[in-house]
Amino acid sequence: MNEVTQESEAEFGRKIISANDITKTYGSRLPFTRSVEVLTGASINVYPGEIVGIVGENGSGKSTLMKILVGVLDQDSGDVTRNGTIGWCPQETLLYDRLTVRETFRLFGTGYGLDEDEMTAAMDDLADRLDFERYLDYRVDHLSGGNRQKVNLGIALMHDPDVLLLDEPYTGFDWETYQTFWDLSEALVADDISIVIISHLLQERDRIDRIYELKDGTLSEVEN
Amino acid sequence: MAEKLTIGVLSQIRSFVRDPVTVVLAVLLPAIVIEGWGQAISNMPEMPTVESVPIELARIVGATLGVALVAGILGLVMIIGARSADRRLVVVGYSPSTVLVSRLLTIVGITVVIAVINFGVLSVNVSAEAPFLAVVFLALSGVLYACIGVLVGAILPRLFEGSLVIALLAMMDAFLSGESPLAADVPWWVEYFPLYHPKTLVQDTMLDGTYAMGDLLFVLGYLAVLVGLALFVFQRTMAVEGRWLR
Repeated sequence: MNEVTQESEAEFGRKIISANDITKTYGSRLPFTRSVEVLTGASINVYPGEIVGIVGENGSGKSTLMKILVGVLDQDSGDVTRNGTIGWCPQETLLYDRLTVRETFRLFGTGYGLDEDEMTAAMDDLADRLDFERYLDYRVDHLSGGNRQKVNLGIALMHDPDVLLLDEPYTGFDWETYQTFWDLSEALVADDISIVIISHLLQERDRIDRIYELKDGTLSEVEN
Repeated sequence: MAEKLTIGVLSQIRSFVRDPVTVVLAVLLPAIVIEGWGQAISNMPEMPTVESVPIELARIVGATLGVALVAGILGLVMIIGARSADRRLVVVGYSPSTVLVSRLLTIVGITVVIAVINFGVLSVNVSAEAPFLAVVFLALSGVLYACIGVLVGAILPRLFEGSLVIALLAMMDAFLSGESPLAADVPWWVEYFPLYHPKTLVQDTMLDGTYAMGDLLFVLGYLAVLVGLALFVFQRTMAVEGRWLR
């Protein structure tokens, strides 16, 4: 009997994200190219108010798994269930280079369905907490890597999601911002928001509730 | 929908005008093509199977080609350059069609400006019988190629390869469609090249001040098919399961 059928309906309903037996192979129809089997049956459950870490070597398929959890990449087989709104902070800063930070918040905030006041409040709050308020009128391509990553994270957070999916979120952060990031994460978790962090290295294991290791295409929970 | 479209178009326009190199190229390139094409084609030697083309006509073809080429490559670059960020935008709640329509509206606006500039350059040497219609049909040529650029960018998201497709198509189009020294005895399917009818429309309004409704209807039908195809392909390539909507 598999894990899902053993659980009660009530417990299953509590999961923010549930992924079962996910497989993904990158194939190509072109000659002289080879298929790469990335995920071979990965399963993960995320519950409200917990921080889940996913570790694995470079090329183990962590970003692929995250894209599947978010819904921007289709799995070959397996199921993903999402019960709540998602905030996604991709590894690459997927922003429009020639827009200012303020314009970027307005563009994405409109997509989230926020009104003008909500957008401004979210932007001001995140700019203050992540310390990029003096760059609000800078173009994204004029920001340093660390500040760009702060904006990338801010966009993922601005609509108060139920779960945050973060792919190497603190790349380029200085020590102070890194600490701020963890303070912010703790505040979010206190509000019952779940956080899934992908990293090839998790230095702050004591801050993580559960850690999964992605190896040979499958996820296994490791002792924290 | 309207708010997202407005914000989308404003963002596209800001992104475009904040890249001065693109703006300068978009303005200068067609002007160079008009004179370059005009001189190149009109100076071809007359031979038994090749008729000479008057320089005015060659400049008109150059203007049409210039607008089409720049608009096509702009369409391609706009789709490929923002592909990943566009996908994130779709995940947060924009529909793929809103993203694409905002891009198309932006490109139409830019193409109209390019067409006006080209017409201005063309008018220095060629006087137009129906200037307003000539600008409209020049812009229409550009919009057709912009849609082709968008379509190519959605199917083949590679800048170098995509630019080659657009440039080669535009060159063949300029040579084989309509009045050209190489256009005698061309196969029937050349009529389906994107610039075949727009070139005729521009030439007729520039030189005679009239145009055939059949040509215009053909172009509008062609445009509708291209927009439909672009929407279909873009929606397929941008489809996402997840949503960040509240």
